[in-house]
Amino acid sequence: MAIAAESIDRRPRLVRADGPEKVTGTALYTADLRMTGMLAAKFLFAEVAHARITRLDVSGARLVPGVFAVLTAADLPDVRYSAGVADRTLFARDVVRFEGEVVAAVAAVTDEAARRAIDAIIVDYEPLAIVDDPEAARADDAPLVHPHWADYESDPSLVRHGNVAAFSSIARGDVDAGMAQADVVVAGRYVADGSHAAPIEPRAVVARWEGEKVTIWTSSQVPFAARDGVCETLRLPTNRVRVIVPHLGGGFGGKCGFHFEPHVAALARAARRPVKLVFTRREEFIAPDRRRESMIIEITTGVNNDGTIVARRGHVILDNGAYIADAAFFPQLAAMHVAGPYVIPNIEISAELVYTNHQPSGSVRAPTAPQTTWARESHTDEVAAAVGLDPVEFRLLNAVDTAKIGPTGQTYDEIGLIECIRRAADSAGWGRPLPDDEAIGVAIGWWPSFPVASGAYVKLDSDGAGQIITGAQECGTGAVMTLRRLAADELGMQPDDFQIVGQDTAVAPYDVGATGSQTLFNNGRAVVAAAGQVAEQLRNLAADRLEASAADIVLDSGVAHVAGTPDRNVSIIELAAIAARGELLIGHGSGQPPATPEISGTTCVGDQGMAAWVAPQFSCHAVRVKLDRDTGVVRVLEVDAVHDSGTIINHLGAVGQVEGGVMMGVGQALSEGTVYGDGRQRNAALLEYKLQTAADSPTVRTQFVEIATEGAGPRGAKGLAEAPNVATAGAVANAIARLTGERLRRLPMTPERVWEVMG
Amino acid sequence: MTEFEIASSLEEALALVAEGYRPIAGGTDLVVAARTGRAPLPGRLVSIERLDELSGIEPTTEGLLIGAVVTHARLMRTQSVIDDFTALADASALVGSPSTRNVGTIGGNVMNASPAMDTGAPLVVLNAEIVLRSTRGERRVAAADFWAGPGRTVAEPDELCVALAIPNQPDGSASAYVRLEYRRAMEIAVVGAAARVDLDGRGRIIGASVALTAVAPTIVAVDGATEVLAGRSLDPATLTDIADAASRKATPISDLRASDTYRRHCVGVMARRAVEAAFGRATGDPIAVPVNRSTGIGAAR
Repeated sequence: MAIAAESIDRRPRLVRADGPEKVTGTALYTADLRMTGMLAAKFLFAEVAHARITRLDVSGARLVPGVFAVLTAADLPDVRYSAGVADRTLFARDVVRFEGEVVAAVAAVTDEAARRAIDAIIVDYEPLAIVDDPEAARADDAPLVHPHWADYESDPSLVRHGNVAAFSSIARGDVDAGMAQADVVVAGRYVADGSHAAPIEPRAVVARWEGEKVTIWTSSQVPFAARDGVCETLRLPTNRVRVIVPHLGGGFGGKCGFHFEPHVAALARAARRPVKLVFTRREEFIAPDRRRESMIIEITTGVNNDGTIVARRGHVILDNGAYIADAAFFPQLAAMHVAGPYVIPNIEISAELVYTNHQPSGSVRAPTAPQTTWARESHTDEVAAAVGLDPVEFRLLNAVDTAKIGPTGQTYDEIGLIECIRRAADSAGWGRPLPDDEAIGVAIGWWPSFPVASGAYVKLDSDGAGQIITGAQECGTGAVMTLRRLAADELGMQPDDFQIVGQDTAVAPYDVGATGSQTLFNNGRAVVAAAGQVAEQLRNLAADRLEASAADIVLDSGVAHVAGTPDRNVSIIELAAIAARGELLIGHGSGQPPATPEISGTTCVGDQGMAAWVAPQFSCHAVRVKLDRDTGVVRVLEVDAVHDSGTIINHLGAVGQVEGGVMMGVGQALSEGTVYGDGRQRNAALLEYKLQTAADSPTVRTQFVEIATEGAGPRGAKGLAEAPNVATAGAVANAIARLTGERLRRLPMTPERVWEVMG
Repeated sequence: MTEFEIASSLEEALALVAEGYRPIAGGTDLVVAARTGRAPLPGRLVSIERLDELSGIEPTTEGLLIGAVVTHARLMRTQSVIDDFTALADASALVGSPSTRNVGTIGGNVMNASPAMDTGAPLVVLNAEIVLRSTRGERRVAAADFWAGPGRTVAEPDELCVALAIPNQPDGSASAYVRLEYRRAMEIAVVGAAARVDLDGRGRIIGASVALTAVAPTIVAVDGATEVLAGRSLDPATLTDIADAASRKATPISDLRASDTYRRHCVGVMARRAVEAAFGRATGDPIAVPVNRSTGIGAAR
């Protein structure tokens, strides 16, 4: 087994490539851009949860001095869009279905003029019944968010009906027989509030037309998806829309998909001027169709007295909000997390994504996982207690492992989950005596790697300096570091010898963006392939020069030498100079994404391809908390986070990912939750939506169980960006439950809720 | 459009305030309210933050005179405040974030009159007076009588808060401020309590005052704190009595931050902890400022 005793990166540590300009303030973000004649954009939002527009009169707005453009649905092509179900339009047509729906947009010389124009728009509404409760919304007589749902174009694989936008299930074995055979059956119901990605940079978009072409600068995690969204909704070919992402101030999934790029492009076209949109913090909370959905999770598990799980039944209701965005695959993903990384021979889990008049839900870092894992791992401790087993022992007994068969019939090659559990428990001091207001909880998690197409170019110019031209998007994931490392290693050079050029759809080949933990996994493969072509060119040049066979040339430490005789060498700089006078050093790469593994015995209704996972990542978090019994305030003191994400290419960046994911998980566990009233968010502000602060951060000890994984990313790497955000809340819950006795089954586990459960 | 004047003297500032200008110093309430859309910036502003007349911390024979534009950061670091008026240092150290504390002022906190203000309860238990001046003259109002409701004070529109006057505290007296907070920075009081405890030469409680944050339309004093505590040791029964007295005084609302039930319970816990900390300090226990970072769940590790 290829597990390193501990992860040691012996190479020099990389300085974060975009760090110096960020910390010195020279990095430009979208909101920093200024252009001659640039106008300010402002939107009119619905500000009601569900209503029919009976009057929309923008004539007053057009008369406001300084206004150059006013747009409504009437001014744009009638295009319905969204992944999965084409259920929405850029601007509201006839009906508004959530408070952040865009009704109209203006562009004016100043923010103030734009605000006055928005205020001059007259809109009258006829209130419609607000669909506020996703559980009740499934009833046959419930009011429909989309009365014409059946007429929408949709992915034929989706199972939908009425307010249920997507239904999925996974089933294997015979659950009824399993439950009947089990010694003990444990059931639980868990309710999680919705939450937000809450990037510190509110989104911004700048659009400028030159003739028939538009350039859009945007704070997007997915520039190609942003481009494609503009092309779809404004009916433009892809080569007339160029999307550039300057430095991105965080995304956490909230900036996936395309959002307001088409609105701003349309405003700029109508105004014949560059236009800039910068969201306020409140707008950032209410308008994007990416937030973490609230959920109701029911789990029943049958277990034998020896601790073996024999059957699991589960049902999940996900609050989709008003439009489906990218959530069509969430039900099946949620079902996979309710199953969890356990060997369970008989399962039947279903999940429903339900329309409501809330903000649309969509990909936020590890979508569906923190809530479902919190519920499942809470439930796991309850099951362990029911058969009198220690929670760590119970997980070691039931967790998936190398060569075992997972809940959907996938057989695992070499995986390190068991080692993750052992190390986390050891490092946390599981079982040691603690003060009576402290406890340790553990939870495990899993997350897929996503194989998709991706491309890159690598070139060396005449002085031997390298550039990686990539479609990949850096949103804090560390692509700026790992891609340079991969190219450098392929060419026997140093990471500092390379600059990354990218985040520009007109310059670089396609990449799906900073989403699905996929940059290293897929774009790393592309960069290695592209650099490999340049390496081949260098070996051929060196072979001529050194009068050797190209097959015998080794690239190392900035030189090409003949294998076995390092003295017979020529520098890469010299070779680059030669190439500059002949065939240039340019490589392009993409490579074939890994194939999805086979599974056996599982049947799925509404299958979205989530029942089998390529290169699954595993984790175990052990969390020590302290409880103020008088007030219910909980503080997370220490977190041991142990991850199997395959080979770690950049240790420093990987540790940063885990620490950030843990902090996000602590927020979800304790303080982050959206409060709704009349279908509207009541805490759309950073004072009342409580993120964790640096002062709250626990000590995080990160370890990696490094297994070079076949059929994964470069050098056997898997993804890592989302995995750290999976298990933390569950571990916090289990620690709290050990202190309170009675278990709290609501997320977030706020002080008042903890206090209430203590009675 | 906002007219903005920078006063070069207190007289000029008072004249402008009399004309209807709103004073601004750190701007942490006015600007944030405008940015979040709660209240637009006033049409006419006069900046008072550079006035030397308002920026002193001066010992007087009666006590300490704290200028209205003294920042929270300065208060929490001033030794005489830490030594003699410790609850005010506790509270100042908890306001907002480091940047809020560096520009936010005690006068602004007092005049903004939020029921959740951190400095209010300490000022009440320390028997502070708010010094108000206008072109008509100067008057002083006891902190306990100063706030009239959320965002409202008894000051006239032309009166400017120029200072806080805190009387010398008797020998054997100490104070503390404790608040319930959900996180350790960037927080606002869910509820809070300040306590002052006066001991005689033998270490017995002879006087006490307790005031509460964010459980009523204004900062409120707990009735009869001296009667509850005088002559008693701080055993569980005594602490339960003061907690109950605080909870009885509370008339909290339910909002996003907490329900009324939880607030009423927690303000009792805070009152008990404030009394314990004040008593501890009075008996020589060196509980560092702020209490919230020295003991309990929010303590530094």
